[in-house]
Amino acid sequence: MKRIEVKLSLQVVAPLLDLIKAVVDRLQGRLAAPQHLQDLDEELRTDWRSDLLGGQNDDCRRFLALFDRNFFADGTVSFDEANAEPVLRACTAIRLQLREQELKSLSDEMIESGGVDVAQLGEPVQKAFLCYVFLATLQELIIQHLDTAILEG
Amino acid sequence: MTMAGTRIEVAPSSRTETALALEGLWHVVVLNDPVNLMSYVVLVFRRVFGFDEATARRHMLEVHEQGRSVVWTGVREKAEAYMFTLQQWHLSAILESDEKN
Repeated sequence: MKRIEVKLSLQVVAPLLDLIKAVVDRLQGRLAAPQHLQDLDEELRTDWRSDLLGGQNDDCRRFLALFDRNFFADGTVSFDEANAEPVLRACTAIRLQLREQELKSLSDEMIESGGVDVAQLGEPVQKAFLCYVFLATLQELIIQHLDTAILEG
Repeated sequence: MTMAGTRIEVAPSSRTETALALEGLWHVVVLNDPVNLMSYVVLVFRRVFGFDEATARRHMLEVHEQGRSVVWTGVREKAEAYMFTLQQWHLSAILESDEKN
C-alpha cells in the first residue's frame, strides 16, 4: 500500500486541535453543508440524511485518527489509499462548519482574495481562520501529492 | 439508498402521478459554494464521474463563474445516486427535471 508521511509543525498545529475537535463534536448531529433534499419523499429524505451523517462522522473519525502518538511525538501524519479520501472529505466538512459559525463575520470576498489580516482578528476568529487555512493546506497537499500515487491507486 | 421506483407506497392515483413525474431525464446540477477549493472540486468530479482533467476543470470553472453546472443527465434513479455521492463529498448538488424530454 502506497503511503506518504508528512511532518507538520507541532507548535502550529497542536494548538488548533481543540477547536477542530469541538467542530467535529458539533458535526456529530448535523450535516456540514445544507443539502437540497426537498424533492425527495419524506422517508427517503430521512434515510438519505442519516446515511450522509453516518458517512460524515466516519470521515471525521478517520481525520482525528491522524493525530495519534506519532503526531504528538514528532508531528508526523501519514496518508494512504485507505484514509486519503475520508480525510479530504472531513477537512471539507470542518471547513464548511468553521465558515458557517466561527468565521461568519468575514466576507467571502475577504477569504477568497486572501485579504484577511490575521493580526487584526480577535483571538477566537484568528484561531478559526488558522484552522481553516491549515485544513485547506492539508487538502492541497493530499490532492497534489497523492492524486496519482494514492487516489488513483 | 432507497430507489425511486420502489419506495412509493401511496394511493394509486398519487402513485401514477409520482411515477410520471419521475420519468424522463434528470440533470444533476452542482451549485457554487464559497468554501470548497477548486482543486478539490476537480478531484471530486474526476472521482465521481470519471471525467478527464480537462472536462472536470471545465465543469469546475462553470460552477465557479456561473454559479452552477450540469454535470450529468439521465434517469432519475442514477441521478439520485450521483447527487448522494456528491453530497457525501459536501458539494451542493440538486436534481432538475429536463422538461423538454
